[in-house]
Amino acid sequence: MDTVTGASSLVRALEDAGCEVIFGIPGGAILPAYDPLLDSVKIRHVLVRHEQGAGHAASGYAQATGRVGVCVATSGPGATNLVTPLADAYMDSVPIVAITGQVNRSMIGTDAFQEADIRSISLPITKHAFQVTDPADIPAVIAEAFALAAGGRPGPVLVDIPKDVLAATTTYTPAAPVAISRITPAANEIRRAAGLIASSRRPVFYIGGGVVRAGAAAELRTLAERTGIPVVTTLMARGAFPDSHRQHLGMPGMHGTVPAVAALQQSDLLIALGTRFDDRVTGVLDLFAPNAAVIHADIDPAEISKNRKADVPIVGDCKDVLVSLNAAVRRAPVLTSWWAYLDGLRDRFPLGYDWPADGKLAPQHVIERIGTLVGPEAIYTAGVGQHQMWAAQFVGYERPGSFINSGGLGTMGFAVPAAMGAQCGVPDRAVWAIDGDGCFQMTNQELVTCALDGIPIKVAIINNGNLGMVRQWQNLFYRGRYSNTGLSTHDRVPDFVALAEALGCAGLRCTEKSEVDDVIMRAMEVRDRPVVIDFVVGEDAQVWPMVAAGTGNDEIMTVRGIKPLFDEDL
Amino acid sequence: MNRHELSLVLRNAPGALARVVVLFSSRGVDVESLSLDPTERGDVSRMDVVVWLPAGRNPDQLVKQLSRLVDVKSVVAVADPARNQIGA
Repeated sequence: MDTVTGASSLVRALEDAGCEVIFGIPGGAILPAYDPLLDSVKIRHVLVRHEQGAGHAASGYAQATGRVGVCVATSGPGATNLVTPLADAYMDSVPIVAITGQVNRSMIGTDAFQEADIRSISLPITKHAFQVTDPADIPAVIAEAFALAAGGRPGPVLVDIPKDVLAATTTYTPAAPVAISRITPAANEIRRAAGLIASSRRPVFYIGGGVVRAGAAAELRTLAERTGIPVVTTLMARGAFPDSHRQHLGMPGMHGTVPAVAALQQSDLLIALGTRFDDRVTGVLDLFAPNAAVIHADIDPAEISKNRKADVPIVGDCKDVLVSLNAAVRRAPVLTSWWAYLDGLRDRFPLGYDWPADGKLAPQHVIERIGTLVGPEAIYTAGVGQHQMWAAQFVGYERPGSFINSGGLGTMGFAVPAAMGAQCGVPDRAVWAIDGDGCFQMTNQELVTCALDGIPIKVAIINNGNLGMVRQWQNLFYRGRYSNTGLSTHDRVPDFVALAEALGCAGLRCTEKSEVDDVIMRAMEVRDRPVVIDFVVGEDAQVWPMVAAGTGNDEIMTVRGIKPLFDEDL
Repeated sequence: MNRHELSLVLRNAPGALARVVVLFSSRGVDVESLSLDPTERGDVSRMDVVVWLPAGRNPDQLVKQLSRLVDVKSVVAVADPARNQIGA
């Protein structure tokens, strides 16, 4: 038991919790914590340029490493700037701990300078939030915050600490290990699931991000190969099953592949693992997989039967569930005609794209070449919009955790700070942010952080001069009336190459198909600073296939007005 | 809309009540009445709440969502008291 300040206690508690990097910005109320942080040899502090960047960086770090990400902000505006990353991490079940300074205990509730009730603000977007009122509680609270963030269904946890608690003298007592119970999958449900799998005719593995969080990719592959059942991976699960595997049909949902969507729609058995029947996957719920029985395994009981009633509910970590299923499934189903149907769709409706009529670059080609040249060992992040969907469709993912994006909340501006966090966690891997010109303008200030802190990420701006996904919807559903979606980035305002240089990065531009490979290779050769590539692409390219919002998945369109599952007798 | 009674045991922790109430608000639950009473144990309180859910919405889902909260020690949906009286 040592006599220390609350601030020193906080830093030691973070070290004891295994924290190796913090993304943050100091300010008045959190100032005491920054003094002992200067002396920590175990924790690297990355000084971001906006607290939102700190939060998304913590998320990128957590998703790249599987460890808890940590961000720090001061009270008031520092704390409120963390709201978006907290909500983002809550939706995508990412384990992060956010530490915020707060005004002195005696000032709380007085509308003091830089006071915001961040604990109340964060209520619906965190797993839990602590406010520390006794400095002696700091080690136990930090230990519990890390355990809560990582345990069960992962998520964000907030720890709010008043300035005078950080400044107070206290004692440091290492926290006792926090026990997190792990639910064993119920044996009778596993038996029922195994029975349904063996007797199914048109089964499909519907794989969600829970399989990635559980580290269960190897167990999934074993079960998939033993049973021969086709696999679809949602946006949050890209990489959980290798794209190159012949049983993989791709991503389902609003911009999924025809075979993946058809596999769900025509299925007689959905084996849903770590997924939550999100509206972007199901389309109109009443029309989703109408003839399928459902095995639904998830670590969060509140997700089971939330949107679609499960015939076999299994509460448990996906790794435990898959291990149990691997032991219980003794007989593979006969799937000859099912595969004949799916292979036929695969042959007839591969992912594809047209080159823009105006002679500009096809954005899909750029992303496909990045995936091919940079390869599956890299980590890719994306913002939100057309470029995100193309990054999900046209990069081949072979490893879980190799695609990090904002799935649930759909946070534009996620790519650059998430890439920064991922690169800090895995310095030996290449990290590429595939970003849009709209997204990039929301969070590019973190490139300064990357340039100064030796975080050599690559950023590929898929610059179509517009808020592309919104423009696509205006084209399809608002009679081509393009209200407020033009960004003038094709007029070089801003000039992304000049902006990159100003931010301390290398700036490259590519406008011709013949230059694409060369500019990607040149970016890969730069190792001493971050690289930004301005890929000037056509503005009319659209994301296909598409299930329009408010329609059933059977109405999937391969291009505008062409509905193969709906119109044809397959 | 259907009426449901829930009974919770809540940790006496700062923000615990707010977290429960916010969950009702963000999940679109109408609250008819809510009472919070101390228990013989000093560290927990008992909350009885009557809520209205749209027809067809199962209270189990709400019970599970409440169970996720760290400060909720237990939660049960009490059977409809009117139905109990008929059975008695």
